[in-house]
Amino acid sequence: MQALLSFDKAPPFAAPLRFFLTAPLFSLAAGLLLLFVGPGLLESRWTPGLLAATHLVTVGFMLMVMLGALIQILPVVAGANLDNPLAVARWLHAGLAAGALLLAAGFLFGQAALLGAAALILGLAVAAFLVAGARALAGVPSTSPTIRGLKLALAGLAGAAGLGAWLALAIANGWAVALPALADLHAGWALGAWAGVLLAALAYVVVPMFQLTPGYPARPSWWFPGILLGLMVGWALGVVLDAAAAIRLVRALSAVAGIGFALLTLRLQARRRRARSDVTYRYWQLGLASAIFALAMVLTATAWPPLAELTGWSIFAGILLLVGGFMSFIIGMLYKIVPFLAWMHLRNRGSARSPVPNMNRLLPEADAQRQMQAHAVALALLLAAVIAPEWLTRAAGAALAVASGWLLVNLLGAVRRYRQHLDKLDRESVAA
Amino acid sequence: MSHPKASHVVDARYMEPPEPFVQTMEMLDRLKPGEKMLLLLFREPHPLYKVLRQNGHAYETELLADGTFEILIRR
Repeated sequence: MQALLSFDKAPPFAAPLRFFLTAPLFSLAAGLLLLFVGPGLLESRWTPGLLAATHLVTVGFMLMVMLGALIQILPVVAGANLDNPLAVARWLHAGLAAGALLLAAGFLFGQAALLGAAALILGLAVAAFLVAGARALAGVPSTSPTIRGLKLALAGLAGAAGLGAWLALAIANGWAVALPALADLHAGWALGAWAGVLLAALAYVVVPMFQLTPGYPARPSWWFPGILLGLMVGWALGVVLDAAAAIRLVRALSAVAGIGFALLTLRLQARRRRARSDVTYRYWQLGLASAIFALAMVLTATAWPPLAELTGWSIFAGILLLVGGFMSFIIGMLYKIVPFLAWMHLRNRGSARSPVPNMNRLLPEADAQRQMQAHAVALALLLAAVIAPEWLTRAAGAALAVASGWLLVNLLGAVRRYRQHLDKLDRESVAA
Repeated sequence: MSHPKASHVVDARYMEPPEPFVQTMEMLDRLKPGEKMLLLLFREPHPLYKVLRQNGHAYETELLADGTFEILIRR
């Protein structure tokens, strides 16, 4: 038992925790931005406020949790150990936090210097992580779809971050580049080749493990990451060659691949052997439904491009995919990972006299369920605000801020109970 | 439960952690030296691999079409 839980190089709790506790502050900031800037923010995809809010969510929240979690779980899901996880975590966390703030401020205030600094800092932070991650995975053979997926996801992250840094520098320096085409490509790489591939690679492990579903069939799960990455390479070639029809085809195929993965996951969940629907399961259901809806919108717009020109079409799909899809998957996982790590570290301290509180006592299910209701309300209001911005933008921003703050309170509660138990163990060892 | 690859099987595909690990270690304790057991899981158990290597147990893993990993472990 003990051996399962104490991996030699398992990072200390502080390594991933700093990422998990910082991330909600960024989605909270995105909510506050909507609250204070108001309806003008949703006028088009390209308003400074919406670009800032989007990157507060994607870099400040999503990337923050994804990289923090990878530091923790690479040894468990891939048998790959980072050298010096705590040092990597410290620098990466500082770089991501500073970079996300600078990027959002650069967009919001139209400040070239801030955008340039953000490109530099985020570029360096992600590059450092990629070097550490590639070194850890280099010696690991691809014996499972998960390991293969993780390796391809790192390539996706390199592409997404490289394009992002280039775009930020192009805007900062007024370089003549095809901004809309490159911004779409950047979003495709960030959400498809990186976040989508990473999600799939981890879902192969965590969905059967936590939700007691059947496994993902081997062949499609082996090919899915490669197909998605290949499509993104095709998209990039389409942009280079200025081949609009090819880009549309690639976008449609990527949306179909994503919908296929989401439908497969829903089918596995329908055959699960756990009667109780816990918060993680519910968050994943919300995430899968949102992602399918969002990708269907992408697909429809590629079949009939005038739709994409509609004000609000791509913003609606984007909110569904980011807040409804990825944020839901991530928060659902945080509600498993944080109490599990707290429990594991307490267990490793070991004590005959004070049994470790179970995971549900460290982070009560009822608290998480209530926070999820707040998240669902925020999602509904954000989507409604796209249709009626004058009425609902500020309310939607306030709702996102509340749901994010609540998530932070729940996570801090788990950390507080962890520390209380740790203090008890310390007092025991002094007394003994 | 029996299987063509081994007469001792732990089918841990619908078990919550840490049950698969616990049952595998218990089964290994019961085996005689040289005997084999089969562990069925929907993931590769890297932390278990590490313990097996530390304890000198050889193992081989095969991925089946339905996503099952068959891990053949020698006591």
